[in-house]
Amino acid sequence: MKRYILRRLLQMAPTVLGVVVLTFVLFHMVGGSPASLALGKNASARALEEFDEQRGFNKPLLIGRWSPTRAYGGGGFDRDAGPWRGLEGVRHLPAAGRDPGRISLEAGREVAAPLAFGLRPDTEHQWRLRYRLPAGRALVRIESAQAEGAVRSRQTHVLPASARWRTASIPVAPGRAPAGLRTVLRAEGAGLELRSIELRRRNAHWLDTQFVFYLRQLARLDFGVSNFTNQRVSRMLRDGLGPSLCLTVPIFLVSLAVSVSLALVCAYFRNRWLDRSIVILAVGLMSVNYLVWIIFGQYYLAFRRGWFPIWGFESWTCLLLPVLIGVVSGLGENARFYRTLMLDELYRDYVRTAMAKGASPGRVLFVHVLKNAMIPILTHVVIAIPFLYTGSLLLEGFFGIPGLGSMGINAVNAADVDVIRALVLIGSILYVAANLMTDLCYALVDPRVKLG
Amino acid sequence: MKTDNREPESPAAESPSEAPAGRSLWSHAWRQLRRMPLAVASFWVIAVYLAMALYGEGVYWACRWQDATPPYQRTCLEEEYLPPSPFRRPFALQPDAGAADRAPAARLAAGLRALARHPLGTDNLGRDVLQRAVQGARIAFQVGIVTACIAMPIGILLGCLAGYFGGRVDDAIVWIYTTFSSIPGMLFILAIALVVGKGLSGVYVGIGLTTWVGLCRLMRGEVMKHKSRPYVQAARALGFAPARIMFRHILPNVAHLVIISFSLRFPAAISTEVFMSFLGIGVQGEPSWGIMISNARLRLWQGAWWEMAVVTAAIFFVVLAFNLLGDALRDALDPRLRTSEG
Repeated sequence: MKRYILRRLLQMAPTVLGVVVLTFVLFHMVGGSPASLALGKNASARALEEFDEQRGFNKPLLIGRWSPTRAYGGGGFDRDAGPWRGLEGVRHLPAAGRDPGRISLEAGREVAAPLAFGLRPDTEHQWRLRYRLPAGRALVRIESAQAEGAVRSRQTHVLPASARWRTASIPVAPGRAPAGLRTVLRAEGAGLELRSIELRRRNAHWLDTQFVFYLRQLARLDFGVSNFTNQRVSRMLRDGLGPSLCLTVPIFLVSLAVSVSLALVCAYFRNRWLDRSIVILAVGLMSVNYLVWIIFGQYYLAFRRGWFPIWGFESWTCLLLPVLIGVVSGLGENARFYRTLMLDELYRDYVRTAMAKGASPGRVLFVHVLKNAMIPILTHVVIAIPFLYTGSLLLEGFFGIPGLGSMGINAVNAADVDVIRALVLIGSILYVAANLMTDLCYALVDPRVKLG
Repeated sequence: MKTDNREPESPAAESPSEAPAGRSLWSHAWRQLRRMPLAVASFWVIAVYLAMALYGEGVYWACRWQDATPPYQRTCLEEEYLPPSPFRRPFALQPDAGAADRAPAARLAAGLRALARHPLGTDNLGRDVLQRAVQGARIAFQVGIVTACIAMPIGILLGCLAGYFGGRVDDAIVWIYTTFSSIPGMLFILAIALVVGKGLSGVYVGIGLTTWVGLCRLMRGEVMKHKSRPYVQAARALGFAPARIMFRHILPNVAHLVIISFSLRFPAAISTEVFMSFLGIGVQGEPSWGIMISNARLRLWQGAWWEMAVVTAAIFFVVLAFNLLGDALRDALDPRLRTSEG
């Protein structure tokens, strides 16, 4: 038994890893910039950079040494001159032929590159320029000033002439007080054309990446900070779990009891009018939209009739209506499912044997069949348990229950990536664990199943 | 349908047990389906909905072509909250100015005229509920079909590969679908939609990328079973390429699973779209059933019940028809699936 559990736990590992990788891919690689998703289109480069710094989004994705910064806006000049707009001696040239959009710096004039925010003094940076210079040379002077006007140190680099597009990398050494960093470009002889300019930051090592940051965060059970409420996600999860369970556990238990009893009734009267009408009713119930159940219940039963409180989470009476709606909306599907399970059992040999030996139909159904049907029912039930924790996404929102479901909906509406990621991750890990539980339950319920 | 005309001897060799009287699985299933009144009725219901969806598509494109305001967006403030009844100008929301000094007959005639213009009433902006519900059918069918077009190729391809090759390929594919299936469905769809962005494309990708798992699992099991059948062994002995065996020989024999799975997924896709549009991350700027529900919900408290009723009925009948037809198809094509598909 112990060996079996151990082996199954090992088998769980790839799935959990898969979920971690999948959430990473979904939220880090595909989703564009989480910072602009959370802060909006008009956030300043500095705010975006700080957001990324806090959540590790400014590192390379999987592996790499350099990571881009937003110090020069987007970097390229495809559409306009970006932060260089309006500087004297700078002209934007639109894309023409094979040349992309670019800016052109007048020869013989010093132009200071506009930097969006001060740089951190403890890290090494690198400038990368894509430039073209038909003749002469260009000078890049990096000055860092401690106080206003007083230049403390100076680095000068020369860019050689090149008729083709060429990339130049210029290191900016750390510790040069880059808070007052000023970079001056001067072209001599001919106009300097710039296609892109970016400032890259050097990371501590090759594996100082988002993926490793993410794994370390998960290992500490740290799910990050909500962008919306600025609370720690782990704390929000803890607060929301209770109300969610208050709602979903009663729904789960009541609907299990009701649908199994209905299924037994169907099996007892199988193929007679009662069975048939229950089946038709079940298909009808299945087809009513979930939203309609909620809206009808809240409007008619609570508002018009006044049988239940409309909204709130103060006393247990507030939970009555949501539980009722939850049970009714899932009833059709569950009853039909359990009925099929029961009927599958009813045509087995042992049922015929029991009948032949003279056992009453009731005894056969409730003792023999129910016991054997317990195995598939149990699978179904245990697999449903992990879904209890998220609560019901809609019910909670409609009835003002401060659980994880309404939290999830709010997070989706506010594009709160960390919260959704945490909900998805925990949900899947619980599901994987529930799979293990079903296998163990098999062994407990069915003596024929041997583990090992 | 599944028989290959260029190889006349192959169908008999492929399914010796299924066609003793020269009847294929499909024609047998067809005969069986035609004898079930519920299946026939649901087929017609779906056909009516499909016609509505096509009409909605026509209206949509015609209005885009002419750059006109489509009828389902046309607002008319004098006709807001018209109920689908000629007798009652409703309630305090819209006092009918001058109703008192008109004769009852004239009032009835005015009511009838309004009813002829808007058979199912209007909403809070005077937009025609019927036109909007038809547009909802259009969106629902679009979602059902497009998500199927995303999910089915993935499910079929991965299921065939896993079942046919086994071994490492199987392990990898099983790993992928276990990972996908262990993520809570609704949250996963919402997360994908969040990443893709608001709008219909988010709905398509979200539902499409999460619903292939069931089909893949089913296909894998079935292909595994067929792999050891004589006709596949014969094809292998003849030296056919694996791709040809998989897609020309095995796939036609398991294609009924695709049909069943499609008809059972369709209502789920519709419900998911309604849910997402209701939340505001689905369809943008066009009427869909979810948007109509979220709109009608607020009006319900003021007593305007008909928009809600129309949407409820619209969703109910199409989902019911698909549920019934899916069950009938399953019983006709492959009764064993009754429990495994849930």
